[in-house]
Amino acid sequence: MPLELNHELKIPLDRDAAARQDFVSQLRGYILNDMAAAMRSSYETSVAPAFEREHGRPPATQDEVHDAMRSNTYFKFYSSVRYNAQEMVWRSVMPGVERELPRMEAKIQALSGSSGGTLSLDPTLPIPENVAGIPVHLMPGGYAPGESPAAGAVYDNGLAVFSAGFMGRNLDDIGLSMANYVKFRHPDFAPTKILDCGATVGHNTAAWAATFPQAEVHAIDVSASAVTYGHGRAESLGVPIHFKQMDATELKYPDASFDVVFTSMFLHELSVPDIRKFMAEAHRVLRPGGMLINMELPPNGALQPYDQFYLDWDSYYNMEPYYRTYRDQNPSGLLAAAGFAGEDHFQFVVPQYSYMAESDFIAAIRGEQRIDGDTGRLSASLQWFGFGAWKR
Amino acid sequence: MVEDLTRRQAFFESDAVDQLVTMVLELAAEQWVLRERMYVIEKAADRLGLPLGDAVESYRFSDGDKATLAAMRKTMIDNLMRSVNREHRRTRPAGTA
Repeated sequence: MPLELNHELKIPLDRDAAARQDFVSQLRGYILNDMAAAMRSSYETSVAPAFEREHGRPPATQDEVHDAMRSNTYFKFYSSVRYNAQEMVWRSVMPGVERELPRMEAKIQALSGSSGGTLSLDPTLPIPENVAGIPVHLMPGGYAPGESPAAGAVYDNGLAVFSAGFMGRNLDDIGLSMANYVKFRHPDFAPTKILDCGATVGHNTAAWAATFPQAEVHAIDVSASAVTYGHGRAESLGVPIHFKQMDATELKYPDASFDVVFTSMFLHELSVPDIRKFMAEAHRVLRPGGMLINMELPPNGALQPYDQFYLDWDSYYNMEPYYRTYRDQNPSGLLAAAGFAGEDHFQFVVPQYSYMAESDFIAAIRGEQRIDGDTGRLSASLQWFGFGAWKR
Repeated sequence: MVEDLTRRQAFFESDAVDQLVTMVLELAAEQWVLRERMYVIEKAADRLGLPLGDAVESYRFSDGDKATLAAMRKTMIDNLMRSVNREHRRTRPAGTA
């Protein structure tokens, strides 16, 4: 079932619109669990054995899996239904956003500053082609069509449908899981200034603010629409966040400004040269003793060929052009190139903070968590992957 | 609503199959919307003192009802299957082989 948004910018739904969103959300849950399991079974019982008969060995790479799967009927139906469901996510929320847009814009103005956050737009900022040029995630119009908060609203409301209940009560489970991992693994670390890069509307930024309430929290994104909507949303939630329209590859902050630089599901939206530029910038703006922490999809090098193929579906079919090139990178190599010493790198896997007792979460992160086929996959046994480094 | 004008991804050998999948899923969504509304109509009627759900379940079809419904079903099935049992031709421009 879609999550009901918990702030004043949420779109009121009539019964039919709510029923349609329920349907789409549940359809996605079915695709990502039932259909995904059936597709894997079809691969293991039919596609892989056929490949092995022909080649004398099992598929060794995700490309071989993908090529072998292309003619598989179940793969075609899985892909077609998933692609349609992705389109239906956005279509199920856009009429409401268009209808409510004037009220929403007025509400954002009225809320602005009520909780101590700020908004700073930069109309001169060039919008990178990877954001402006394509409908990322098949979202019509893309994420940065202008200053109207409409795209941010479509993303927020759409994510509530898309997530099928897997991403936390405020769509913030990634942020909560990452921030609480830091809090409980490093109890002596007390960040006073936190930066979330590529934050879109700040779902996960708010989680850092909640976990480290003494910290000053900033969120940046190239999309004016996302940060404008995010500002209103955060003010409504009572969370003071400083939203700025800014490119993470060219941060407008002085050296040594932050104790934490955080990203979530951001690096895979960037080309590899831009990832390198961002990481160098993160290193520059971190204070000594600070931490860069990225929540991301697990690297292909840590997964079996079928799981690589499964996760990289988005790269081929969901307008995520850099999804795979990012996942083909070695996280440690990216960190080292940015100036983070090898002995200061870390990577980890965490369960979902939102859906378990805190004591169980703490016990889990003190144990050894391994990357598996459910890491980064929206499914009932989802866990998140993170990596980063301390700055000396 | 903003329409995405980029080309859609195809997965089947014929684009027609991809288009049909879209139609089926949109129909399924609409069918669900209607089914949920009917469920709510029954529940809302109950609250208003009209036990509509019970009345629906206990309704017994007369012979006339059965005949009417059978004819409606036949028409629906005929419409649904109207393309299946017919030969299809592919018109070629005059003068081509």
